[in-house]
Amino acid sequence: MSGAEALARLQAEFAAALVAEGDAGFASRLAGEPSLALRRLAIYRRAVEANRRGALRSAYPVVARLVGEAFFGEAARRFARDCPPDDADLNRFGGGFPAFLAAYPHASELPWLGDVARLEWAWHEALMAADSPGLDYAALARVGEAAQPRVRFRFHAAVRLVRSSWPVLAIWEANQPGRDGTPDREEGADDVLVWREDERVRAALLAPPEADFVARLMEGASLEEAAADGWDFSAALGHLAAGGMLAGFSAGTPAAS
Amino acid sequence: MPARHPARAPDPGRAGIGLRTPHFEALAGRRPALSFLEVHSENYFADGGPALAWLERFRADYAVSLHGVGLSLGSTDPLDRGHLARLARLAARIEPALVSEHLCWSSVGGAHLGELLPLPYTQEALDHVCARVAEVQEYLGRRILVENVSAYVRFASSTIPEGEFVAEVARRTGCGVLLDLNNAWVNAANHGTDPRDLLRAIDPASVGEIHLAGHEVTPDGLVDTHGAPVSPEVWALFAEAVGSLGPVPTLVEWDTDIPPLDVLLAEAGRADAILARARVPGRAAA
Repeated sequence: MSGAEALARLQAEFAAALVAEGDAGFASRLAGEPSLALRRLAIYRRAVEANRRGALRSAYPVVARLVGEAFFGEAARRFARDCPPDDADLNRFGGGFPAFLAAYPHASELPWLGDVARLEWAWHEALMAADSPGLDYAALARVGEAAQPRVRFRFHAAVRLVRSSWPVLAIWEANQPGRDGTPDREEGADDVLVWREDERVRAALLAPPEADFVARLMEGASLEEAAADGWDFSAALGHLAAGGMLAGFSAGTPAAS
Repeated sequence: MPARHPARAPDPGRAGIGLRTPHFEALAGRRPALSFLEVHSENYFADGGPALAWLERFRADYAVSLHGVGLSLGSTDPLDRGHLARLARLAARIEPALVSEHLCWSSVGGAHLGELLPLPYTQEALDHVCARVAEVQEYLGRRILVENVSAYVRFASSTIPEGEFVAEVARRTGCGVLLDLNNAWVNAANHGTDPRDLLRAIDPASVGEIHLAGHEVTPDGLVDTHGAPVSPEVWALFAEAVGSLGPVPTLVEWDTDIPPLDVLLAEAGRADAILARARVPGRAAA
């Protein structure tokens, strides 16, 4: 850092004055009438808060609808205070919001709220994930039948599996635009597969054995390791392939990364 | 790979608009005549997905301007090389006609405030921000435009008038100026100065783009919301500016309470009419 010490100090003080309530000391750094200068400083404070809230609101529209604007705004404010953005791109802000909501005392009557938020973040990340090359089926076909059980897959960067002990997909669907918020079912422990296909994000409910299988494959297990007790995985694998969720494979050796 | 359209250049005699998600379908369907489309670079940083696919489609029909809001040019934190790399990848992919950022800072100590915060106008800040602009231009391998920002506060330590500060950044680094006339008006109204001071200080040849936007009048002063029509005062300032600068690619920005596309196109049409009356001095296009 070359000779920008005074600037660095000013910026640190400015940032502190924006996030803390006690900003009176900063008035001496500002030109003009002090009380007006502090009211103008508050324009920035409100804007910082609104930008963070807005970023969370656009990633978590269902949570916002479920709890209402006032509740959401307060939760967003507290979350942003505890976990401020660590990237200039606010589209990446809010990955920790589901865990925050799951532990948020004021949301204890909505025990599934954190899981709904996890599903929304998975959706949000799927939107922003990099494109992946398609699976090389010709190469896969060349893997001998004997070696097939040892094949391990690499997934498209958009694929997420959200496992919940609540009917999160039903709740999420009921709170899409045009729906009245009443879930089709109140029972369920939803395992939701999220992926991107033809530039659209999609979500599907998986039966428990399929979810176990997909979870293990995503962790890097081979087909034979993932399919417990000789479970017939052909339909599940077909589902993944048809959705473009498989981006690559390795045969015989543990998948890299 | 499908054949790619060559990158398009903006028509300095027409206005462009900010490309915002609610207008994607309508714009793609109607393809109105526009000088260019401007996007917030960060919204297209993902290496895939629907937003980037839309932008790839639009670039076939329109010149594109990448307008960054997160590089934090004036911050004393180290320049974020990851952010810059993402911008470079996007630029390589989209081949934008213009790349711009703000003469401001938005992060310090690793904390990102997500807001365009003003710099003190000091020699130290000038040296610092010039070094950063030069670093960005070298990394991207191209000239960028830097925008004068709205500033609700001024610093007691400032010693250089804003216009001279902006002009000096352009002179020292060879960058262009993105002249935001709404910001100039907001600052002048809030701090009791003359918005023409900025116009007078800047080398006309350095102005590569003009921004027009709406603001809100509050009891504490004007707030640059980008959520309203361009004000009569800013239209007048625009007519005066292009009267002396000649036609410059001009953008109508609208970022909050986004109106139907027709409202935005009507604003752009109003800018077109003013640009059409601007005299064309003997100056190369930016």
